[in-house]
Amino acid sequence: MLVSWRWLQDYVNLDIDHDELAERLAMSGLNHEGTEAIGDDFAIDLEVTSNRPDCLGHIGVAREAAVLCDVDLQIPNPAPIGTGGAIEDLTSVTIEASELCTRYTARVVRGVKIGPSPDWLVQKLATIGLASVNNIVDITNFVLMESGQPLHAFDFSGIKGASILVRRAHAGEEFLAINHRGYSLEPTDCVIADAERAIALGGVMGGADSEVTNLTTDVLVESADFAPLAIRTTARRLKLHSPSSYRFERGVDPAGVDWASRRCCELILELAGGELADGVIDARSQPAPEPQPITLRLSQIPRILGIDVPSSTVRRILRALGTTEVSAGSEKVAVTPPSWRRDLVREIDLVEEVARIHGYDKIPEDIGVAMTASHRTDHQRVFSRIRGALAACGFSEALTPSVVSEEHSAVFSPWTDFEPLQCNTPMLHGADRLRRSLIPSLLASRQTNEALANPTIELFETAKIYLTTTDGLPDEPWMLAITSSRPWDEVKGVLEALVARLNPRHRLATTDWRGEFFESNQACGLLLKGETIGCLGEVSADARKQFGLRGRTLVAELRIAPLQSISELIPQYEPVSLFPSTSRDVNLIVGESVTWDSVADIVAKTCGDVLERLDYRETYRDPERDGVGKKRLLFSFVLRSATGTLTGEQADEIRDRVVTACRDAHEAIMIE
Amino acid sequence: MTGLSDFLTQLDDLVSEAQSAFDAAADSAELEDSRVAFLGAKSGRLKSVQKGMGSVVGSDKPAAGKRLNEVKQQIQNAFDGAQTRLVAGTLSIGQQPAVDHSVPGRRPSLGHLHPVTQTIEELMDIMGRLGFTPADGPEIEDEWHNFEALNIPREHPARDPLDNFYLNVAHQTAESSLLLRSQTSTVQIRVMEKTPPPIRIISLGRVYRPDTADATHYPMFHQMEGLLVDRQVTMADLKSVLRIFATSYLGDEVHVRFRPSFFPFTEPSVEADYHWNDAWVEFGGAGMVDPNVLRAVGYDPEEVTGFAFGLGVERLCMRRHNITDIRELYKNDVRFLEQF
Repeated sequence: MLVSWRWLQDYVNLDIDHDELAERLAMSGLNHEGTEAIGDDFAIDLEVTSNRPDCLGHIGVAREAAVLCDVDLQIPNPAPIGTGGAIEDLTSVTIEASELCTRYTARVVRGVKIGPSPDWLVQKLATIGLASVNNIVDITNFVLMESGQPLHAFDFSGIKGASILVRRAHAGEEFLAINHRGYSLEPTDCVIADAERAIALGGVMGGADSEVTNLTTDVLVESADFAPLAIRTTARRLKLHSPSSYRFERGVDPAGVDWASRRCCELILELAGGELADGVIDARSQPAPEPQPITLRLSQIPRILGIDVPSSTVRRILRALGTTEVSAGSEKVAVTPPSWRRDLVREIDLVEEVARIHGYDKIPEDIGVAMTASHRTDHQRVFSRIRGALAACGFSEALTPSVVSEEHSAVFSPWTDFEPLQCNTPMLHGADRLRRSLIPSLLASRQTNEALANPTIELFETAKIYLTTTDGLPDEPWMLAITSSRPWDEVKGVLEALVARLNPRHRLATTDWRGEFFESNQACGLLLKGETIGCLGEVSADARKQFGLRGRTLVAELRIAPLQSISELIPQYEPVSLFPSTSRDVNLIVGESVTWDSVADIVAKTCGDVLERLDYRETYRDPERDGVGKKRLLFSFVLRSATGTLTGEQADEIRDRVVTACRDAHEAIMIE
Repeated sequence: MTGLSDFLTQLDDLVSEAQSAFDAAADSAELEDSRVAFLGAKSGRLKSVQKGMGSVVGSDKPAAGKRLNEVKQQIQNAFDGAQTRLVAGTLSIGQQPAVDHSVPGRRPSLGHLHPVTQTIEELMDIMGRLGFTPADGPEIEDEWHNFEALNIPREHPARDPLDNFYLNVAHQTAESSLLLRSQTSTVQIRVMEKTPPPIRIISLGRVYRPDTADATHYPMFHQMEGLLVDRQVTMADLKSVLRIFATSYLGDEVHVRFRPSFFPFTEPSVEADYHWNDAWVEFGGAGMVDPNVLRAVGYDPEEVTGFAFGLGVERLCMRRHNITDIRELYKNDVRFLEQF
């Protein structure tokens, strides 16, 4: 809301400068966004919160200023004299759409002379950024910006049948607005119609047909009150926002409707001449709301604000704000709010009024707030470990949007059979599907980097995915995903290291994984405690193409809940052996179908407690020497006993048992 | 009687001493002296240590012997290396070989945490010290938790479909649609519905509003909200906590002011600003929990009072790292990420 500093002084006599006033207004709820010098005036830009439509006019702001500076407010009392015959003989108003329009007043001035506005009016409007049109239009704008009550002046000759009907629009009804654009209306829209057609879109914009022009001689002045929700719906749908719709959306002062009409007509008579018809057509579809008294218990002030405010101060503030004191005692005050403060209905509303006028700065900000126990949650600890481990492994953390395009959503979705959830409005670049996997988002980020020829793209993200359920709120499991161009064993090693970081006694196992998203034979499911918690694989060339990716990449995605459930956040000490370790190497010929996991299990079982670590070295194939379908597994293990030094003979004996067990299980042959 | 471990220690010491002596040799004469001292057939130190084998117990002898052989080889290798060093190259005898210590080492690559994550951790840290415990809730919400319980009735403009990401969900009823939460206050409602007062929580996470992405807007961002409900909580508590929080995050010298504002779920409502570059910058919104909100979760506003505050994480993150375009945060250009 732009406020003219000079205009404001028509209503209050302030002994402070405009900067000081802006500061005080900001500190009482009208935030100061800036001030600009316009000629010899200043335009003060104030942010008016949606609960304070009364401050969408100069008088409202002046009223606040008067309260803050403890000075009187002078508001004109317009009393234009009707000399042009009874208005009832000229026109009539019928409100048919009673839910959309609660009140409609009309006055008529005949014989006006359209012309330029006087300088004082042109300048006031210029300060707040409104260009002068002609005296009639300028007057309606002036009164709007003075009182916050929107007005409309019709060319009376443009109203067919000379009578006004406030009704719902017909479906598909065409309307040409004053901006000379056509709009197609719906029955939720409120129109002002004459005997034939809509001549204004109620509360939003006037119509081109009944616009005041240089030829206009008679005008009908509308001052009305429209339902906020209906105005908002119409303005939004048609993307037609006006100073009028802005105010009706927030609610106007019901008692200000007639005042604005009188003020407007008085100024017309003064600046454009003519004769005012006697009286007013005042059509109401609902009685004006009667403000109800509100009781403020004085004890609530310290209870909510933490400070005492003397009851005399409380009463002075409430009175200054325009409330009417109904009763006052030592414990409570009852007041009736003024018609323009429809936001005041509860006790807490009055507490806030007292606080903001008395000053938030009077409330201390250095009191001792009681201490209380608090702790990091397991969730925080686990996430911090996961992120720390991945960063240590050279992965940087990405944050990607929660929605993806329909195409990307469809490329990879192994965690649900349900369709993705869809937003009614796209969030970014047409993306409207809530993601069912983090991998498409990470690949999109990968593409961004690849396009910039960034050489190393190693990314991870921890975020939620969104899965439809059959009832209730959707599932939102936390996931971890990575994308990397390192070799398979390195990426798998990172995931193994991650699991070991969370709990060294747990191991990731693998299982088959199918799906065209990955290169064939280059993907596996990841198992923890026998349950599939994720997958790892190399993205297939076809899938890469859908993301515009040239370079090969591996991706992995894991559910975090199983990782969290195995996490040992407070490791328990285990004594370390005081004796030296010894190691043995093994080189076995086995069939291709023998997995490392199965050999590792045998080693673990055979060695028992003395196995300190088992290191896979390599797989080696020499069909000529070992035969087709055979491979050599090279590995070594470290043995250490808790109770004594293992001798070479003991270590050899253990190694021999391992070899024997492998032979029994897999017909493995040991190479010396 | 010498134990195995003593013997092994002697061997290890011998290797390192021989290596140092050979490395220190400036010319072939010095190197020859060192060779005699360590590897000399008659009275070299290796020879004398070897005699210690006799004192190792029988069962340890194989291990000791194996190690002795390895050590012999290591010392010989060290000698050979030193000889090569002295003979090869253009260095004249008596000079150290040229070593360029400015040649870069081999760096392990370390990943970087996203600046938003780092900001969140900082914020959580500060709030944790003030006794606030994190609480989590769903990002997809019903209208009760996102609006109704927060004193945002059906006709309120904040519920407009154009201002929210409502979801097309088959099973949702006419009474309640699902939407992506537009604020993390939803978590406060969920916690209060389940937990009797006192409450002191912080909720942090993604929120969604249909803004067109530009330098200062993004349709998805992170919010942090705090809530404290107890008997006798006043605006003085609110101001004091926010003051400590602002000072902790922005520094001791920061100027903070509190001015009246409007939010449906708090009354009185507060906007906190901090002074930066000659202007007041919005820090976050706050206020005393509206009695309607307390009632909605089954609390008695005559019994308890509370305050809530919320702030946008991205804005704080951008101010902290001097990032001027919010979209950078979600592009995930590695050159951006690696700066933090």
